[in-house]
Amino acid sequence: MAHNHSNEDGSIGTSLHGVTAREQVFSFSVQEDGPSSQAVRSDDPTAKFALPVDSEHRAKVFKPLSFAKPHMRAFHLGWISFFTCFISTFAAAPLVPVIRDNLNLTKTDIGNAGVASVSGAIFSRLAMGAVCDLLGARYGTAFSLMLTAPAVFSMSFVADAGSYLAVRFMIGFCLATFVSCQYWTSVMFTGKIIGLVNGCAGGWGDMGGGVTQLLMPMVFHVIKLTGATPFTAWRFAFFIPGILQIVMGILVLTLGQDLPDGNLSTLQKSGQVSKDKFSKVFWFAVKNYRTWVLFMLYGFSMGVELTINNVISGYFYDRFNLTLHTAGIIAASFGMANFFARPFGGYASDVAARLFGMRGRLWILWILQTVGALFCIWLGRASSLPIAILAMMLFSIGTQAACGALFGVAPFVSRRSLGLISGLTGAGGNFGSGVTQLLFFSSSRFSTAEGLSLMGVMAVVCSLPVAFIHFPQWGSMFLRPSQDGEISKEEHYYGAEWTEEEKSLGLHEGSIKFAENSRSERGRKAMLADIPTPETGSPAHV
Amino acid sequence: MAIQKILFASLLICSLIQSIHGAEKLRLFKELDKGALDVTTKPSREGPGVVLDAGKDTLNITWTLSSIGSKREAEFKIIKVKLCYAPPSQVDRPWRKTHDELFKDKTCPHKIIAKPYDKTLQSTTWTLERDIPTGTYFVRAYAVDAIGHEVAYGQSTDDAKKTNLFSVQAISGRHASLDIASICFSVFSVVALVVFFVNEKRKAKIEQSK
Repeated sequence: MAHNHSNEDGSIGTSLHGVTAREQVFSFSVQEDGPSSQAVRSDDPTAKFALPVDSEHRAKVFKPLSFAKPHMRAFHLGWISFFTCFISTFAAAPLVPVIRDNLNLTKTDIGNAGVASVSGAIFSRLAMGAVCDLLGARYGTAFSLMLTAPAVFSMSFVADAGSYLAVRFMIGFCLATFVSCQYWTSVMFTGKIIGLVNGCAGGWGDMGGGVTQLLMPMVFHVIKLTGATPFTAWRFAFFIPGILQIVMGILVLTLGQDLPDGNLSTLQKSGQVSKDKFSKVFWFAVKNYRTWVLFMLYGFSMGVELTINNVISGYFYDRFNLTLHTAGIIAASFGMANFFARPFGGYASDVAARLFGMRGRLWILWILQTVGALFCIWLGRASSLPIAILAMMLFSIGTQAACGALFGVAPFVSRRSLGLISGLTGAGGNFGSGVTQLLFFSSSRFSTAEGLSLMGVMAVVCSLPVAFIHFPQWGSMFLRPSQDGEISKEEHYYGAEWTEEEKSLGLHEGSIKFAENSRSERGRKAMLADIPTPETGSPAHV
Repeated sequence: MAIQKILFASLLICSLIQSIHGAEKLRLFKELDKGALDVTTKPSREGPGVVLDAGKDTLNITWTLSSIGSKREAEFKIIKVKLCYAPPSQVDRPWRKTHDELFKDKTCPHKIIAKPYDKTLQSTTWTLERDIPTGTYFVRAYAVDAIGHEVAYGQSTDDAKKTNLFSVQAISGRHASLDIASICFSVFSVVALVVFFVNEKRKAKIEQSK
């Protein structure tokens, strides 16, 4: 039976496309073009695609410099849309020194608006999975872009702290494009390379948070040169991200394609649709304690990153008496490091897994996240500009690599509820950001410098729970895998998510295949002892 | 090994820069000669509860050497007159905080005028600029020496910064044309999406009926 789970969203019945480069994709049971809600039986030769594809017409190769239809085009449209949304969500941050004078904001007002800007996405990310399922990734992305564009434009009307907070909250909804972007790459790329593809899409999209710190002060400056006063110029500057969103929305709708074979609405849906029950998927996600550990961990890697996007420009502007422009350049470097830092984290996780199995992944995650947090503490304590910049760069690399490394672990926590767990983890990032902004940056109790150091301390403490993630078949940071013959099998862990009744119906076959392929997480020693598992990229088509 | 050397060297340079940086800037506000200048301000509109409009109302500011005078009067080269935040406008706003260290002090960010020092009474009429935020203010005049360091000051209010303050209301920054453009773009965005959606659904129906 077909089980469809999306890569990074929280909805039912969406395609599972393995998230790491190592697992095979077994969305369908045995048949070649098995029934699913979103693929079609195609008799056409796969020669019509520019890239080599598997039997589901998903690309087997990742060519970042190509714009070939439909795979690479979908990748580029996806990550650029996500990038645009990051620009819009954090567009206010570098302009806060001007906005706070115009609207007579207090530190509390600014902090609360920062919390609001990341809170909306907690819900919109969870909902986006369902939207992609029903309408396809194109409309999911386009909805997110074009329905939040009015919120971006409505900065023209903002007159006080309350309306400022409301507008930032509404703009924040567009961060749901994270989910639609990852969903889109998941339907377009095969399981073996999906880890790298998703890492690049995620990291390059996150860069928007850095680019906006450069872009907005520059746009503001140019508008001032045309004669506008500062209090008008900053409002006009918001038109740029707004227009970018509309342009990207139209490009996605005209140039993009939902699936390798065409658009969702024009494809004929063939075969039985077999969706998993949402209640079951939800229950197994929520019951698994590892989900919540990941929720907290991502809250203090991605969460810290989102918070920094909001506060770092103002911090450099105020503390070191820089111009808006210079503060923006420094703040931008933080976000730009995502270009290589996040993919690097994913890659480091994969290398650690090759050598030490899942235990290596967990150690790498803990090391990267803790080192990043320690540099955050240093950043808060740095009183000279060069040291602050150095601390910030090291902090950014550590934290962003931790984000990438976390999604090297997440796919293995559950097979049945992968989509929901990924969605919950993503929401955890926003939640963590809201919490840190509320605690440390929304009142005059702590100076921003103190807030940064305290946030670093909290991140160190909240990274310790990695030690509690234990897989009976692979072990944890400090414990060996179970010695019991039954429990130490991957099949036992993934099979436990199905009831006997469901197993008798064969619903769990996808999980079993996944379990077989996840044996690579035992590490090199165990792998040498085992019979090597086949590492073909396509499902076992008999 | 080479990398370690480079890292160590850069750390050394950073700390050197830090110490040089630090040595320069320890000039304190309390070391300045207090009350060396008599500063008066007369807003264009006065009265209880009057709030001045930025961009429209003006201030008539005068300053001269006070009766107390200053021991360092010979060093006075330029008088810098600035608009300063009164305590009510500094609450919960650390970017306007008063620091004793002159380099860090953020009380008086808005420059009004700078004139060479003259023993006679000086005055100026200054229009409140359009980037002045809403708040309560007073005026302070710094006497600056030849190398640009503050030597003495006088202000239009008392030491506790409670008397003789005036309030300013900032411009909103909103503009009718901006509002209209904003509405147009927003409507376009939503309508374009709906048009695409309806169009595709229609095409799909036609395809299916074929």
